Amino acid sequence: MTPFLTGFIIILLFLSGVYVAAVMERWSVTGHVNWGGPVRSFLLLFAREEIKTRKHDKVFFETAPVLFIGVILLTISILPFGRGSVVIDLGTGALFINAALVYVMVALLMAGWAINGVYAMVGGWRALAQLIAYSMPVVMALTATVMRAESMFLTDIVESQQGLWNILYQPVGFILFYISALAITFLPPFDLPTARGELAGGVWADLTGARKLLFRLGRLTLVFTVSAAVVVLYLGGWMGPWLPDFVWTFLKTLLVAASFFAIGRFMPRIRHDHLLEYNWKYGVPLALYNIFQVGVVLLL
Amino acid sequence: MISVQLILLIIFGLAAIWFGWRVFMTSSMVRSALSLLASMVAIGILFLVMEAEFLGVLQIMMMGTEMSIMAIFMMMYMMDPGGLGQMDMYHQKNISIAAGVIVTVLIVGAALAADWGTIATQFPGPHEQNRLLGMEILKRSMMIFETAGVTILTGMIASIAVALSIKNSVEK
Repeated sequence: MTPFLTGFIIILLFLSGVYVAAVMERWSVTGHVNWGGPVRSFLLLFAREEIKTRKHDKVFFETAPVLFIGVILLTISILPFGRGSVVIDLGTGALFINAALVYVMVALLMAGWAINGVYAMVGGWRALAQLIAYSMPVVMALTATVMRAESMFLTDIVESQQGLWNILYQPVGFILFYISALAITFLPPFDLPTARGELAGGVWADLTGARKLLFRLGRLTLVFTVSAAVVVLYLGGWMGPWLPDFVWTFLKTLLVAASFFAIGRFMPRIRHDHLLEYNWKYGVPLALYNIFQVGVVLLL
Repeated sequence: MISVQLILLIIFGLAAIWFGWRVFMTSSMVRSALSLLASMVAIGILFLVMEAEFLGVLQIMMMGTEMSIMAIFMMMYMMDPGGLGQMDMYHQKNISIAAGVIVTVLIVGAALAADWGTIATQFPGPHEQNRLLGMEILKRSMMIFETAGVTILTGMIASIAVALSIKNSVEK
């Protein structure tokens, strides 16, 4: 297959994956599978009048959705979807994933502050608290995968899992990264910034129309992107028999995204102080143990 | 010798200075903190333009968290975090203008007077840079980095332990 055709198919698969994620998101809330639902929501939000709050912060209000989408697109561009199917193979790819995803929080914080409403502001600061909770386990889990590959190129990390996938080589790191991935995408049970019940929608409480659409679309893309990152780092990336490599990446990513939504459907929302407490008391020591374990196994 | 790199270097250098100036021109704490973040990100991009990939990505990653945390601390400690009272970001105008001018002259003087050597044309790729940085940290500079790292970690754990006062003092 020519590189152009491969790229085209990967983009199509990615877009369809985002659509399936939208269907699953709806299912995780209502419990019904509705294949036409996302299209209707899209058209509804697209056509709806944009109501702006009085005295909103214009700069942040305009910048936040663009920043949100922008950092997610940057993250997609460094993820390898197949052997050689990567937009930019960055020499510091593993670190860059985390660097880009930090700005998801910054975008939420900006949006929450800009709207000039109580719920949105509390939601924005909660996004920050959530980041403080999960950022350390994420970086340390990434470090352990980099240790095994002896490289920060994401393609090298996939290649290093040739014999044994990282999910079996470093299960503790996988569990930490998986839980933190849920928190990065602020899906339930970690949907503190956009909590429906207690904060009436949090950061998104006062957003309507196109900006809300950008955030909703951005979050679905984020879910699919972070799932792809889990696949690249822990589930052997493009590796698998018979099918083309990018199809394997797609199937695994879809499975991870589905598991995200399934967990969200059946888990109660965690309290923000519990989240901070568990992550710092148990998450950080476990992440350090994971680094130690991987180091010992590497040296043996 | 005008190259794309040089043009980008000038653009993002000016952006860093402009955002740094914006920090003091707003009365809202959050706008001020995020302007500083934008300035720091511009510096991170300068590293990327100068092909120091690891430093650039690290700068961009660390500053995103740090400046946001600074924003919430400024919110907590200032009497007027939203800038609704039209407060000023600077005090003692004459002294601060004098200090600013003197420091600028000193820094520009140092930059012009320093011998920067020849411009590097040969440099290792990002992977090799990462390896060399690791060797530097774990060989010659190990004591410095380990001492600093353990000190910071102890500080973090201690401050979190202290912050849990509500649970520790259950009233009888």
